[in-house]
Amino acid sequence: MANTFPRWCNLLPLKIAFCLLSVAVGLCAAFYYGATPKTLVVGYQPAQPIPFSHKIHIDQLGMDCRYCHPFVEVSGHANVPSASTCWNCHQHVQLESPRLAPLRKSIDPAYPGYDGKPIEWVRVHKAPDYVYFNHSAHMNRGVSCQSCHGNVNQMDVITHDQPLSMGWCLACHRSPENFLRPLEEVYRMDYNAQSFLTQHPQPGVQSPREFGLKLKERFKVNPKTTCTTCHR
Amino acid sequence: MSHRIWQHPEIPAGDTTVAWRSARSHDDPESLHEWLERQLPGNASQMTDEADLETSRRSFLKLMGASSALAGFGLTSCRRPEGYIVPYAKAPEWVIPGKATYYASAMPRAQGATPMVVTTFEGRPTLVAPNPLHPDASGTDAFAQASVLDLYAPSRSRNILKSGKPASRNDLNAAITGLATDPSAKIGFLFGTDDCPTRTRLVKELATKYAAAKFYQYEALTGESSAALGDGVKGVADFSKTRRILSLDCDFVATDPQGPVTPFFDGRKPEGKNGDAKPDGDMMNRLYVVESAYSLTGGMADHRLRVAPSQVLLVAGQIAREFGLSHAKGVNDITDAKQLAWIKPLVDDLKSHAGKSLVLAGSRQPAAVHHLALAINLALGNLGAGKPLAAMQTESHDLGSLSTLMADIHDGSLESLVLLTASNPVYDAPSDFKFQLALAKLKTSIHLGERADATAHASTWHIPATHYLESWADTRSVRGTYTMVQPMILPLYQNCVSELELLLALLSDSGNLLSGEGNQEAPSPAYLAVRKTFAALADDTDTAWKKFLRDGFLTDTLYRLIEPTMAKSAAADIADSNIKTGKAGVPGIDALQVIFATDASVYDGRWIDNAWLQESPDPVSKLTWDNAALIAPKTAKELGIYDEIIATENPRALASPDGEAQNRKSPVIQVTVNGASLEIPVLVSFGQAENTLVIPLGYGQGIDKHDALHREPSNQTHVGLVGINRGFNAYALRTAATSYFATGVTVKLTEKRYPVALTQEHHAMYGRALAREVSTMDADDDKGGFAEQLANVSTQGNDAHAPPNLSLYEPKGSAFWHPGPEGQAQNHLSDPLHQWGLSIDLSACMGCNACLVACQAENNIPVVGKEQVARGREMHWIRMDRYYTSQPDNPFDADNPAFVPQPVACMQCEAAPCETVCPVNATVHTEDGLNAMAYNRCIGTRYCANNCPYKARRFNFFDYNKRNPLVAHNLYQGPLGKTAIGDPDHLQKNPNVTVRMRGVMEKCTYCVQRLTDAVIRQKRAPNQQSLATGIPSTDADIPSSTLRIPVDSVKTACQDACPAAAITFGNLLDHETASLGRTKRIDRNYDLLHYIGTHPRTSYLARVKNPNPEMPDAKYVGKSTIHMG
Repeated sequence: MANTFPRWCNLLPLKIAFCLLSVAVGLCAAFYYGATPKTLVVGYQPAQPIPFSHKIHIDQLGMDCRYCHPFVEVSGHANVPSASTCWNCHQHVQLESPRLAPLRKSIDPAYPGYDGKPIEWVRVHKAPDYVYFNHSAHMNRGVSCQSCHGNVNQMDVITHDQPLSMGWCLACHRSPENFLRPLEEVYRMDYNAQSFLTQHPQPGVQSPREFGLKLKERFKVNPKTTCTTCHR
Repeated sequence: MSHRIWQHPEIPAGDTTVAWRSARSHDDPESLHEWLERQLPGNASQMTDEADLETSRRSFLKLMGASSALAGFGLTSCRRPEGYIVPYAKAPEWVIPGKATYYASAMPRAQGATPMVVTTFEGRPTLVAPNPLHPDASGTDAFAQASVLDLYAPSRSRNILKSGKPASRNDLNAAITGLATDPSAKIGFLFGTDDCPTRTRLVKELATKYAAAKFYQYEALTGESSAALGDGVKGVADFSKTRRILSLDCDFVATDPQGPVTPFFDGRKPEGKNGDAKPDGDMMNRLYVVESAYSLTGGMADHRLRVAPSQVLLVAGQIAREFGLSHAKGVNDITDAKQLAWIKPLVDDLKSHAGKSLVLAGSRQPAAVHHLALAINLALGNLGAGKPLAAMQTESHDLGSLSTLMADIHDGSLESLVLLTASNPVYDAPSDFKFQLALAKLKTSIHLGERADATAHASTWHIPATHYLESWADTRSVRGTYTMVQPMILPLYQNCVSELELLLALLSDSGNLLSGEGNQEAPSPAYLAVRKTFAALADDTDTAWKKFLRDGFLTDTLYRLIEPTMAKSAAADIADSNIKTGKAGVPGIDALQVIFATDASVYDGRWIDNAWLQESPDPVSKLTWDNAALIAPKTAKELGIYDEIIATENPRALASPDGEAQNRKSPVIQVTVNGASLEIPVLVSFGQAENTLVIPLGYGQGIDKHDALHREPSNQTHVGLVGINRGFNAYALRTAATSYFATGVTVKLTEKRYPVALTQEHHAMYGRALAREVSTMDADDDKGGFAEQLANVSTQGNDAHAPPNLSLYEPKGSAFWHPGPEGQAQNHLSDPLHQWGLSIDLSACMGCNACLVACQAENNIPVVGKEQVARGREMHWIRMDRYYTSQPDNPFDADNPAFVPQPVACMQCEAAPCETVCPVNATVHTEDGLNAMAYNRCIGTRYCANNCPYKARRFNFFDYNKRNPLVAHNLYQGPLGKTAIGDPDHLQKNPNVTVRMRGVMEKCTYCVQRLTDAVIRQKRAPNQQSLATGIPSTDADIPSSTLRIPVDSVKTACQDACPAAAITFGNLLDHETASLGRTKRIDRNYDLLHYIGTHPRTSYLARVKNPNPEMPDAKYVGKSTIHMG
C-alpha cells in the first residue's frame, strides 16, 4: 500500500505547532511591549518649546511650586503657568537668552516676532479622559506633589516618573498612610519622614508608617475606592 | 434559578380610578402587559430599515476586516499621541482652569425677563440657572434652559444678507451710513414686546433725530390683554397673596406668564413653603380653570371646566352676572345646567375670598374677556398694592401695532423699516395682512435676527444678531425690576450686531456700525449706553455699577402702579365679541372650532432650530419634533377617524399600546378654515372640549426633499438641520380677526400617513400606586378625611399588605477591599458624612420640561433625532410621565380626566436590581448611596436596563455625540458618516461630565460632578483652618464634621431649574436641619414601587387636590392614584 501522505508530512504537526507557538509568543511580546504601562509613559521626557528646568527654579532658586501652579490647591487642574507668570521675572532676568524666544514671542510686544499666541507646552502627565483627577483634593489632605510627579526638583527636563495607572492610584487609596505628610510639608521637595520625626518627635510614633497612620487619623483621611471617586 | 416574573399585587378593591397614558392603553388595557414588560419598544434594538440594513451589514464586515488589518501595523493605537497644554498668554482675572465662573444676567422676554446666573467654563457659557437674589426670581422654564444651545446653534445666522444673498460688511455700513446721515428719512422701527430701558431712552433720541420716525411693536402671540388695562399696562399677579384663582383660558404656569409663579406652587403644598407646618388644606390655594384643551395650568386645576374657546366669554359673562355686574348684560346666557352648577359655587368661593382671589384671562382670549375679568377683580377688590393683582405701567407704550405699520407702509409715510422684533412677521403675521408684499414696497428694510428666517430673506438687509449671552443690554423682569444683560463671551461671529449697537449706529453722525469690542478692543458702544442708563437710575460710581454687575439687578425699580378703571371701550368690545361668539355659537361636528395654540417646544416658531426643545416631548401630547392637530376622542369617533388614529401601523413590531415604534404613522387630515386649508396629522387628546381642534403654531418653516410627506420643497434656507421638515404651518390658516381661534372648520381624512415620534408609551412603567393623590376633602367614602388620607399615603396601593422584602444578600460590602476597623465587611453605605437623597413633590410638579432640559445641558445628554425617538431611543435622563385618570361613575363630566405628571429618573436604589446583573461591575454602589455608572467600564449588555423596574436607564445605540443624527441614515454609516453635530456645538459641553460614546448605558447620577466638587471643596476648610491657627498640622485634630458639606449647599441641575420648587436634594445625614429631611418626614412621602424592596433614595410626595366641597365634581377630585398594568 502506497503511502497516502508523503514523507515530509511526518514533521508537519511539529512545524504547525512551532509556527503557532511563535505567533503566540510574538503576539504576547508585542502586547507586552505595546500595551503595558511602563513603556507607555514612565520615563516619557519630551522636548519642550522652552527648555525649562525645574531643577534650577526649585533647587537653586528655592521657588515654591505654587508660584507657577497657583490653582493646584483650589482646582482640579494644576494649571501650567501663563506666559505672564514667567514674564513677571523674566522681563528682568535672562531677557536676551535665545531660549526665551518663544516666551517673548508670546508676551513681549517689543520683541520682533511678537504674535501674542500662547506657548504650546508638550503634555507629559495625562490621566485618561474618563478619569476626573482632582489636584486640590490631594494637596489639601497631605499628599505631596512628589508622590505622583517624582523628584521634580532634580529634573532638568520634566519626566514622567510614576505609572499613573489605575492600580497605582488604588494602591495609595487603599493605604494612604504610606504617603501622607504634614500639611506644611506637602510642597517640600526634600521631605523625609524619618528626619522629620527626628526633628519633630511625635508621641507614640516610631516609624514613618506609624506617623502616616497618625496623620490619617488626625486628618480623617478615608480615601474612597468606588468608581465615582474618579469616574463619572 | 428559575425565571422569576414579578406579579404585581391586585389593585385594591374599591379603587375604581382608571389610569392611562395613550388612547390604546385606555381602550385595551389587556394588551398593555407584554408591552410593559419590555425595556424598549419591540424593535428598538433591531435594524429594520432596508436601506440601513444594506449599508450597515456590508460596511460592518468591510470595516471589521480593515480595522483588524490595520491593528497589525505596529500597534499604533497603543502609543500615546503627543498632546499640548496651552495656557493663556495673559491670564484673565477670575478664570481658574477647571472651575466654573458664575455671572448674573437675564434673558429678555416679552412677559418680563428671566433673571439668571450663567455658568461659564473658561469663557464658555454652558448652563443657566435662576438668579436666587433677584426679587422676581421664579425658576426657569424649558425655553430659558434651552436658550444656551442657541448660542452655539450651527444654524445660527452669521452672514450679512442683501435680498437673501451674502453681502459684505462694507456694503451694509454704506447703507447704514446712508440712513444715519439723512435725518429726514421716513424711517420706522419695529420692536419686540420686551422692555429694554436703554432702548426706550434711545427711542427718544431717535425721535429727536428723525422727525418722521415711527415706532411699532410686534410679537406674534401677545394677545389683547392691554385693551382692558390700557396702553402698555399689564396686570401682574402676586400668587403669594392669592387663595382662590380662576383662570379663564390662561396658562399662567407655562406659556402665558402673569407674574412670578413660584409662590403659586408654594400654595400647592399643604405643609407650606418650607414643609414644616402642620398639613392643612387652608394653607393651599384653590385653582379653577376654564379652558378648551389641556394646558399645564389645567393640569394643576382643582376644578376644571372644558368649553369651546368661544364659550369662555359666556362663562366669564355668567360669572360677572352672578356678581351683579352690569358689563355682562350683553353677553348671552349660559343654558347648560351642568355649567351653571359649576359656576355657582365658584362665584360663592370667590366672593368669600374677596381681596384674596384672582381672575386671570388668557392673553389669547378676546378683549371682552379681559374687560370682564377686570370687572370681576375690581368687584372683588383684588387690585392694588398688597393685593393679588397689580396693574403696572410698562415702558412699551405709544408704539404702533402691526396693523398701523401696514397702513403706514401702504400710504407711503414709511420708506425704511428696521425690524428688531424677535418674531418673524413674514411667517407669523396674520395671513390676510400679506406682510411680505408690504415689506417689498419699502425702499429699505433692515432685519436684525439670530436666524436667517423668512423675514430675513424678504428684507433688503439681514444682519445677524448677537445672542443675549454675547451682548450688553438691560431689561426689566416681570414686575419691572431693572435687570442686567451682560455678555459671557465676545460674539462668536464677527458680523453679529446687537439691537442696541444697531440703534446707536443710526444715532451716531457717521453711521459707523461698531459691534462687539471692535478691532481696538474698546468697549462695545452698547456697554457705554447701558452704563449711561444705569447712571441715570442709580449713580455713576464704579461701586454701584460693580454691585449691579454682581447682583444682576437694581433694587426698588419696579414698574409704576396704576389704578385701573374699566376702559371706555369695554361695553362696545363686549357687545362686539358677543355678536361674534353668538355667530360662532357652540361648535358642531360640521363646523369645528380650531385653537391656534402656543407651542411648548417652539413657542411662536422662534425656537424651531433648537434641538433640545424639539426633542423634549410636548408636556400634554408627548409629541416630539413635530406638531399635530389634537382632537377629543368623542369628536374623533363622530368624525369617523378615531380607529384610524389609534390603529397600530406596524405589524412587524411588537405592538405597543400606542402603536409606537419607528413606523407609527398618524393619519393626515385636511383642515379647512378661513378659505385656506392645511394637511396635518391628527392625534387624540383627552380632556379637550368636544368639536374643537388644537393646532400648535410655529412649525413648517422650511421643507426639503427628505420630507416624509414629499411636500413641495420650500424655504429650505430659512431653517437649519434641526428645523427642516418639522411639522405643519398653521399660521397660513390664521387671519387678523381669527388670530387665536376660528370657527367653521371642516375636517376631511386623507389617504396620507405621517410618521410621528410620540414618547408617551416609551419606557412605560407599571405597578401599583405609582403617582398618589389625596384630597383635602372628606368625600364620604372609605378614604376618610384629609388627615386620614395623608396618614395612608405611604400604604396606598399594596404597600400596606406587601410582606417585608427579604434579601438573599446581606447589605454588606467586601471584607477584602473595604475592611472595617476590625477587618470585617462593612455596610456598603458606609460613608459617615454624606448620604444623598432627593424628593419630588408631585403636588407642585406641573410637568413642564425645565428639569429635563436643564439635565440635558448639565449632563451632556445628546439629541438623537426624530427617527431615533420614534424607536424609543431618546436619551433624556428624566422621563416626564403623564397619566390621565378618570372615575367611571363621575356624573359631572366623564370625558374630563385628571392630568397627572410624574418625573421619573434613576431612583438610586439602595438595593438596586441593575447592579446585581451587570457582568462587568460597571454599575456599582458608592458608599454615599449613589448608584454609580462607570462609563468606561460599560460594555453595553443592557442587562441593567432590562432589570430596572423604573425603566430609568438609557442606552447609546449610536455615537450620537460624534455622528450627526439629524442627517438621514447618517448613524448607520459608522465612521463613514458625517461626524460633527455642528460647527461650534461642542463648546456647550460641561467639561466635568463624560461625553458618552456608543454602546454605553447612562442614567441620572444626582449630578455626581456637583457632589464631588462640593465635597472636595469642603476638604480645603480644615487645611485652611489648621494653617491659619499656626498650630502644626500634626497636632491639629480635624473633626469629621468639618468635612461634611454645609446643609443644603449643593443643588442638582433639575432642582435648580424647577420653577415650582418641587425637587429637594440633600444629605440624608443632615436629617434634622436640611430641607430634604423636612420633606422626607412629611406624611405624603412615599417610595415608588415600595413593595418590590429596592429602597430607592428618591421619594415622592403625594399630590394634593384642594376641591371645593360645593362643586358638583368635588367628590371625584383627588382620587388619581395611578395603578398601571
